[in-house]
Amino acid sequence: MSVQTRTFPIRPKQPLRWIATAVAVAAVVVLHALAIQGTGFQPGLLVDGWKGMAAFVADAFPPDLSWDKTVRPGLEATLVTLWIGLLGTTFSVPSALLLAVLASRSTAPHRLVYQGARAVLSFFRAVPDIVFALIFVTAVGLGPFAGVLALICHNTGVMGKLWAESMEESDAGPQEALRTAGANRIQQVANATLPMVVPQFIGLLLYRFDVNVRSSLVLGLVGAGGIGLLINQSIKSFRFDAMLTHIIIVLILIIVVDQFSAWVRRKLAA
Amino acid sequence: MDSPLLSVRGLRKSFGNHPVLKGVDFDVSAGELIAFLGANGSGKSTTLRCVMGIEQPDAGIIAIGGDDVGTLPWRQQQDARQRTAMIFQKIHLVPRRTALDNVCAGALARIPTGRSLSPVFFPRAVQQEALECLDRVGLADRAFDRVGRLSGGQQQRVAVARALCQRADIVLADEPVSALDPHAAEQVMALLRDLAHVENLAVAAVLHQPDLALRHADRCIGLLHGTLAFDLPSSEVDAARLDALYAPDRVAAA
Repeated sequence: MSVQTRTFPIRPKQPLRWIATAVAVAAVVVLHALAIQGTGFQPGLLVDGWKGMAAFVADAFPPDLSWDKTVRPGLEATLVTLWIGLLGTTFSVPSALLLAVLASRSTAPHRLVYQGARAVLSFFRAVPDIVFALIFVTAVGLGPFAGVLALICHNTGVMGKLWAESMEESDAGPQEALRTAGANRIQQVANATLPMVVPQFIGLLLYRFDVNVRSSLVLGLVGAGGIGLLINQSIKSFRFDAMLTHIIIVLILIIVVDQFSAWVRRKLAA
Repeated sequence: MDSPLLSVRGLRKSFGNHPVLKGVDFDVSAGELIAFLGANGSGKSTTLRCVMGIEQPDAGIIAIGGDDVGTLPWRQQQDARQRTAMIFQKIHLVPRRTALDNVCAGALARIPTGRSLSPVFFPRAVQQEALECLDRVGLADRAFDRVGRLSGGQQQRVAVARALCQRADIVLADEPVSALDPHAAEQVMALLRDLAHVENLAVAAVLHQPDLALRHADRCIGLLHGTLAFDLPSSEVDAARLDALYAPDRVAAA
């Protein structure tokens, strides 16, 4: 009885792939070396300067829990921060929606409109919200209103882009079905494309709300109101214990917003 | 039977250098269900997609109700296409919307744009008509259920109701039952046959199962490599013809 040896296909040799991998790894290493040089990344400095940090942290403890002087103003300012984040998100919905429809390959009426809308979105996305805030402060003065306007602008760019992409990734079948039934483009978008992506849209909206509440903290630092302004003031007046109180309040706010948006997204998925 | 509702002559279509349709002729009359049969890549679906205007044919005449669609001015061309409705293998309804709203969407071409931005603005007459169309496919009681909660067979029947709400007199179905279980497939095929025999529509369906075609269709058209292999009443299609028709699939599988 002879044993038949079965021949299996042999894994093909790919020397080029090895070279490509080696080149990619080398490139990443070189980029990091350049980045370390460019940012002055020296862990030694951190070890030497630990005393300064320790003094700073020691000054902050215990947190200032006086109600009238620190906690109540902190809570009020936190509420303003939350309002800035909320309006900055919801008031950018119309502009983001319009630009998303024009900047999505599946819904844009024309190639030129598509390119134009994408350029507008890129502009709003590229300019940081803090720069928008500085511009609006010169127009409407210091305060939360400038912060809301800044977030509306920046968020339009980010959310419009995210929404446009989720429309491009969605199933185009229902839209094609309505096109063959003679529906015009606006009807196709309103009755097929948009209803197909409602859950993704709301998920992204909540995600942006989360991000915008945190951004509005930073906007406070440049005078656009809210708890960021108080944190800045307490640092400048060396009241580090008050600063710590404000940061604890912010931490609680962030956790609450995060839990809320996670809860809504769970409900949507169900 | 009177003059055909849909008449196709010399239909040609290539994708790149690859000819898919090499001159296909056929007619579909009101009151008959015809089935397109053929191996993978024989051009069945492309034929339907050309008739629907989803694909642009390279050559050939597509006449709807006696009018050559290609020579009509744009507006009349839209009106002529309006008379044909398409049923898809993947159904292509909006799962989050109710069955009724999905059926209403078939009538969008008759609804002013301003009233079609949301189902709450759809005219009452359209909603009434949509409900009757749902009743026609036996699903009036599910009108306010989300489509996503219906079974595959029920969804495909909602899609048929949408085609009815479009007031089409030609229904083209591209593998309407390939994704359905045998019982649901049987139901949908019976419904398509009813549309032809009872509602007097012209119905053409691409089918993957010859046995379904032979049992339900009045006539079978066999496509082989982009040309017509046969065009016969279902009773005259025999095993030998089917064998020859599906030979390319056996070669591909070997």
